[in-house]
Parts: sequence; structure tokens; C-alpha cells
Amino acid sequence: MNLVQQLINGLILGHAYALIAIGWTVLLGVARLVNFGHGQMYMIGAFMAWWATAPLGLPYPVAVLVAVAAGALLGLLVQAVMLRLTLEQNLVSIMIVTLGFGHVLRGAASLAFGGTPQVLETPPSLIEFELAGAWITAQDLLIVAAAILVFALLRGVVERGRLGRTARMVAEDPKLAQLAGIDVTRVYLAVFAFEGAAVALAAALVAPRTPILTSIGFEEVIVTFVVVVLGGIGSVAGSYLAGVGLGLFTALFGGFVSPAYTTAASFAVLTAVLVLRPGGLAAGRAVR
Amino acid sequence: MPAFLLAAAAILGLFLPQWLGGAATSALVVIAIFAIMAYGLDIVLSDLGEVSLAHTVFFATGAYATGLLATRTGFGAWGTLLGAMLAAAVIALLLGLLTLRLREFVFSLVTYAAAVVAAAVAHNWNFLGGSDGIVGIPTFDLSLGPLVLVARNDAELWPYAYAALLLVLWFVARFRRSRLGLVAVMAHLNPRLATMSGVDIARTRLAVFVLSAPVTALAGWLYAYQRAYVGPDLFESYFLVLMLTAVVLVGKRLLPGPLLGMALVLGQEKFLSFGGDVDAIILGLALILVLCFVPGGLVGAIRPLLRRLRPAPTH
Repeated sequence: MNLVQQLINGLILGHAYALIAIGWTVLLGVARLVNFGHGQMYMIGAFMAWWATAPLGLPYPVAVLVAVAAGALLGLLVQAVMLRLTLEQNLVSIMIVTLGFGHVLRGAASLAFGGTPQVLETPPSLIEFELAGAWITAQDLLIVAAAILVFALLRGVVERGRLGRTARMVAEDPKLAQLAGIDVTRVYLAVFAFEGAAVALAAALVAPRTPILTSIGFEEVIVTFVVVVLGGIGSVAGSYLAGVGLGLFTALFGGFVSPAYTTAASFAVLTAVLVLRPGGLAAGRAVR
Repeated sequence: MPAFLLAAAAILGLFLPQWLGGAATSALVVIAIFAIMAYGLDIVLSDLGEVSLAHTVFFATGAYATGLLATRTGFGAWGTLLGAMLAAAVIALLLGLLTLRLREFVFSLVTYAAAVVAAAVAHNWNFLGGSDGIVGIPTFDLSLGPLVLVARNDAELWPYAYAALLLVLWFVARFRRSRLGLVAVMAHLNPRLATMSGVDIARTRLAVFVLSAPVTALAGWLYAYQRAYVGPDLFESYFLVLMLTAVVLVGKRLLPGPLLGMALVLGQEKFLSFGGDVDAIILGLALILVLCFVPGGLVGAIRPLLRRLRPAPTH
């Protein structure tokens, strides 16, 4: 493949990455929370979309909604269970609990969906056309459009809107926010529901590109970490740029160096960023 | 407990397989090995207060170093032991230096990413056997001159796994009373006070992290001989969740905690199993429920009950 094709590939991949990471970005930037079960929530989202289309026979747009609803419910459930830890801001326990949730989700998915790899077949992925020598599908365009739409909406809501201001106030000082009459619990629940819904949306759109297995999700987690750290923790616009940048890097690395080690290469990027700017990232307050 | 009672209990433990019967032997060996694995994570999580998600890497490093050295260079068990611990310490040092100035979730995020990447590398790198792993690891042999110390099966391996476990327990107990152990707790609970007392927090964290890796690698060394096979499945998140659960289940900073926790979890999996998927759900739920609803661990939950049973002290 030539350079132009890899660049087009990278742009599509980059929008997919940005979309996968957006839930974490909001979680971190708005509520100072983390979710190490993110990858498994992606996996569940993909399986829900597949389950709604193949065994149930629902049309793809409805399947996307089913996945998003399931993701939001899952996010609500996770946050409801660990609410006390969240209110205590016990990040150490939150990390371990979300990791435990990931493990439970994987076990539950194996139980429900079995070990056979599934393919999510969608109408847009069958529509193919050529662009500067590269074959792309309507599904790819859908991913790009969805990513741009979600990021534009978020930028309006989180960084400018009143909702975002409220949530950021909670992130900054939950106790003070409570005194100011904000229902802190509801904000935390809403943010986690958004995280679940966003990653499920990403899964329903991106998963048709690869086989769906209960063991997927780990690569998505690395991608999310790199995007979140690279983009300046919690920054919406930064995440978008970081996602696209990482997509281009991965496509070029996979196309010209080694497709097997793209995850390792992403990690190398993460490492380089952390070594170059550890102070600003360690504080976790890059953008407010 | 007086020292002689501890010594007597330690010696009695050696005969546990005989008492519990043949079926329990392999369970006991695996509990001992995985408890050792958990103790490495324990001193980072309980004392330092950091969540390292890279301890599966140290576990796998110990096992892989053992497998590679034993099959390709013909090292005996002493040589592979040294290699396993050294390799894990070097990787921990590199990872520790990289994350020296990172705190809380960024540290955990990088260690988690490192574990996922290490798994991808193990799957793809032919030098490490790729997806097939390393087969044909020779018999465990610690013989010294005329002294023959060989373990061909689980029953014969038990004394060595048990001795290693006791050694690790002694090491963790000593660590908690050492200057480094005390400073680690201070850096965890009150970093400002630690800094004012002239403690170099970054160095303390690095020291504890590097010290914890060979402990977990020791478990990898034993596991490689026990299974006679090393493969990329060692990087499975199962081991990570297992370690974390063992550490928090019974109670943090409790010397026998990880051992008892591991015995509970593996006891369920060996003797009360509902199949791999349900067991995974049980393991994950145990971890979630303890942290969310019983933060002091099982001991913390039982303590108030015990107090109620005992008559109130008269003043």
C-alpha cells in the first residue's frame, strides 16, 4: 500500500480511536474518575450490537441504540455500586473495582455469547468505494462523521455549557458543590452513564471492522490511555487531535514497519510523552 | 505468638499434603505459588498505596526467564532462580524509572498498558516461543553436590514451594519493620510529613517497586517448573485480578492476609467450581463487593461481631 492509502486509513482509524476514548476523556476531565473496565465495556457494546442484528434481526440503527442503552445502563450500574468510593474520592479502590468489573463482564460475556468469534455485518460496511487508490466503506465514513459530531457536541456542552460547568465544579470540589446545592450523586451517575454509552456507541460503529471476541478490549484500552494522556488529560479537543494523530501513526507503523507490534508502538508513544512532560500530566489538570 | 509456636506451626505445615490427602496436594502447591505472587503486589498495594497492574509481567518474566534459561542454556534450578529474579528486577527498575514521577491513576495506567503490551510481545516474538510458548522445561533440581534435591511431581515440589512461601512471609514481615517499610507507609499516608522528614518519596517508591518484583518472579519460577510449560497465557488478566483479590479479600497489611485470600479463592476454584466463566464472575464480584462494602476486608467485617460476642470490659 502506498502512503496516501495509509494516510486515509490512518484518518479513519484515528476517528475510531477518538470515539473509543471519548468516554474516558469526559470521565477524567469532568469528574476526575477512571474506568479500567473500559475495554470490556467496549466488548459488551460490540456483542450487544451483534446480538441485536444477527440473532434478533433488528435493523442496524436500532442495534446501535440497543448497544448504547446497554452501555449507559452498565455505566450506571458500575457507578451505583461504587458510589461510596466515588464520594470518598478513593481512586485506588475505584481503579481496582473497575478492573474487577471488567473481569466480571468478560466472564458474563463468555457465558452469554460463547467463545466463537462473531462478525457484525452492517449494511454500510458492504458499500465500498475507491478514494485515491484506497478502498473505503460507508461504515468508515460513518465512524468519521459520528466522531466529529460527538466531539463537536461535547465541546459545546462540556467546555461551554452550563452542564459542563456544574460537572467540573463537582470534579474540583465535590463537598463545596454539594453545599452549593448540586446533586453530586446525580452528576457522578450521569457521567458514568455517558462513559458507558459513549464506549458502546464506539463499539457499535467500530466493531464491524474486526471479529468480535470476548477477549477483545485490551487494545482499545491502550488506545484510550494514549489518546487521553497525549491529548492532555480531560481535554475534549486535545483528545480528538490525539486520536487522529495516533490513528495516523498506527496506520503508518502497521503499514511500513510491523502490523504485529502496533500496540507496542502506541505504548512507546505513551512512554515518550510521559518522559517528555511528566509534570503536567502527572498532576492530571492539564486543561480546565 | 511465641517464636517456638510459630516454628512448630511452620514445621507442621510441611506435612499438610499427607493429612489432606492426594487430591489436595496440587491445590496446596498452587496456593503456595500464587500466594507468593500476591505478596509481591501486597507490599506495593498495602504499604506503598499504589496500584501496580504490572505484576503479571513480573510473574510472567520469572516464568519466561526460567523457561528460556532451562531449555536453551541448560541452567539448573539455582541458575534459573537467579535469572528469574534478576530479570524481573531489571524490568521493574526500567518501569519504575519511567513512572518515577507519576502518581495515582497515571502510574496504574502505565503499568496496565505495560502488561497489555508485554502480552502482545509474548504472543508475537518468536524468541519467547510466540503463541506456542516454551515447552519441555526439565525437572526441578536444586541438588547441591551430594545433596539430591529433585521434585518430579507436585508432592515432591511441595516442600520447596512451602519453604519459598515461608521465606517470603519472613521477608514481608521484615520489610514491614525495616526503615524502608516504615518510610513507604509514611510516604503513602502522609507524603507531606515524609518530605519534611527528609524522605525522598520518589526513591522510596522506586525501591519498594523494584523489591516487590523478584518476590512475584519467584512465584513465576516455581510455576514454570510446576507446569513444565510457559506461555503467553501467563499474562492473562486472570492473574492480575487473582492477585488483587487475594490482597484485599482478608484485610490489607495483614501478614497472612494474601495467603488466606489466595487459599479462599483457589479453594473455591478447585473444590467448588461452577465452570471457568462463573468462577471468573465470582472472583470479580468478590473483589468488587469487598472494596465497595467491606473496605476492611473479611477480618474487618468479622471484628465487630467478635467484639459483640465478648463481654464488655468493665471499667
